[in-house]
Amino acid sequence: MTAMPPPLPWLLSTHALDARYGDFQALFGIEFSIAPGEVVALIGANGAGKSTLLRSLMGLLPVASDMVRFDNVQVGGCPPHQMVQRGVAMVPEGRRLFTGMSVEDNLRVAIDQARRPAPEQNVPLWTIERLHALFPILKDKRRTPVESLSGGQQQMVAIARGLLSQPRLLLCDELSLGLAPLVIREIYAALPGITAAGTAIVLVEQDVALACRASNRLYCMLEGRITLTGRSADTPREAIARAYFGAGHAVA
Amino acid sequence: MPWLDALVQGLLLGGMYAQYALGMALMFGVMRIVNTAHGDLMVLLALMGVSLAGALAVGPYVVIGMLVPIAAVLGWLLQRLVLNRVLGNDPLPSLIATYGLSIALQNLMLQVWSADTRSLPGDGLEFDSIALGDLFVGVLPLQIFIAALLMSAGLDLTLRYTAFGRALRAASADPEAAAITGVDPRRVYAAATALAVGMLGVAAVCQSLRATVSPADGPAQLIYAFEAVIIGGMGSIWGAFLGAMVLGVAQAIGFRLDAGWGILSGHLVFLAVLAIRPQGLMSRKN
Repeated sequence: MTAMPPPLPWLLSTHALDARYGDFQALFGIEFSIAPGEVVALIGANGAGKSTLLRSLMGLLPVASDMVRFDNVQVGGCPPHQMVQRGVAMVPEGRRLFTGMSVEDNLRVAIDQARRPAPEQNVPLWTIERLHALFPILKDKRRTPVESLSGGQQQMVAIARGLLSQPRLLLCDELSLGLAPLVIREIYAALPGITAAGTAIVLVEQDVALACRASNRLYCMLEGRITLTGRSADTPREAIARAYFGAGHAVA
Repeated sequence: MPWLDALVQGLLLGGMYAQYALGMALMFGVMRIVNTAHGDLMVLLALMGVSLAGALAVGPYVVIGMLVPIAAVLGWLLQRLVLNRVLGNDPLPSLIATYGLSIALQNLMLQVWSADTRSLPGDGLEFDSIALGDLFVGVLPLQIFIAALLMSAGLDLTLRYTAFGRALRAASADPEAAAITGVDPRRVYAAATALAVGMLGVAAVCQSLRATVSPADGPAQLIYAFEAVIIGGMGSIWGAFLGAMVLGVAQAIGFRLDAGWGILSGHLVFLAVLAIRPQGLMSRKN
């Protein structure tokens, strides 16, 4: 482990974050941080606690206020709609679009409730037009009820909905789950356009190779703990395998 | 002509039922909250309206103006203090909580107003009618029908085209997904229930002008509202309006056949719709 970096550059950081579902403790002493514009991958086996960590960052799980800092403010335990106002948005596992509503109405919910960044911050806002440029299919389908879209198209709506909250941090849970390789490539190709404006992204991802390619840094989780952190480009595969499966397991 | 007359009277009666049904369409049809105190809240508001009119010597329009804000506050409190605590995928907790509230309200009303039937004096409005060819149409039922039409249109447009309407539909579809999109589901629900009960304020005045009210009347009105929403189709505001029309016409034709058959024929049509088209007349296929 390197020395603790100064706290200022982090957009979001956690300190000794524990989370539980009732009596079951799901996260233990998580130390996680992400800088503006950074893409951080969160990898680990099923049940390692990746989604739980993402949910506790979004305010969907109760945690103590000093466990999460966003923009140097303690935000642990803030309800999700307040986290949106501070600049955190989420693309949840399984898309979770608003069924019975058109693509456009789904996106307009986010526009209605979006954070209003101070104008002097001079970041280009996400608009429906910019998102149509990012995912052209959304323009043709804007009047379509979301439940009749394909999985990939639904994932694009979910990403667009998250971006229209004008987040500084986008939490993405399993973007590639259940999608065809070509569609996954199209969705991942959109990420650089998102971070270019300074938005940071946390990627929870099952596909380790994909996660490493798409991210600057990675964290690996096992049984509710972070077992490895490093730069995605130069973390050895064996180290990832050890952290992913645990020390007792043979490396495949 | 008697059947045309029955049809017209049925549509006008349907206007009254539509007024009960709109709040139910919002709470049950859209939010999926079962509020079994819906009818009792209407009766409570009606009795408050009768007392207000008596105490302050004001006409029905002034009573509506006073009652709607009171009703909205009652609805907001109902959601904040009771219903927001029992939210979830299971409709049973809200059913039990509001069933208890229904019984408590009925007993409270018996204590305060006794079991007498009361009505609101309409300054002669209730006796006016206009001739349409051979038909005579009451001015008051016509006003009630037009009010129901306007309220349905307003509610439908609100749900479709306002930020509040979109947030409510989103929160009803998936409260957690709505929350991560910036919606505070509890606040939106409280506003929606305030709107639903607020509309009952209008219905309460109309009901006590058109007929009588007494503390035990709530459950019957609740049934009409439920039936209208289910005949029309869950989630559809115009569906609830249409359902109320079907119910009103069925009752009016039933009354024409035999004075004892009116209410029954409404229920029979409801059962027939449940058997033939359980998703409701205006619901999307599902």
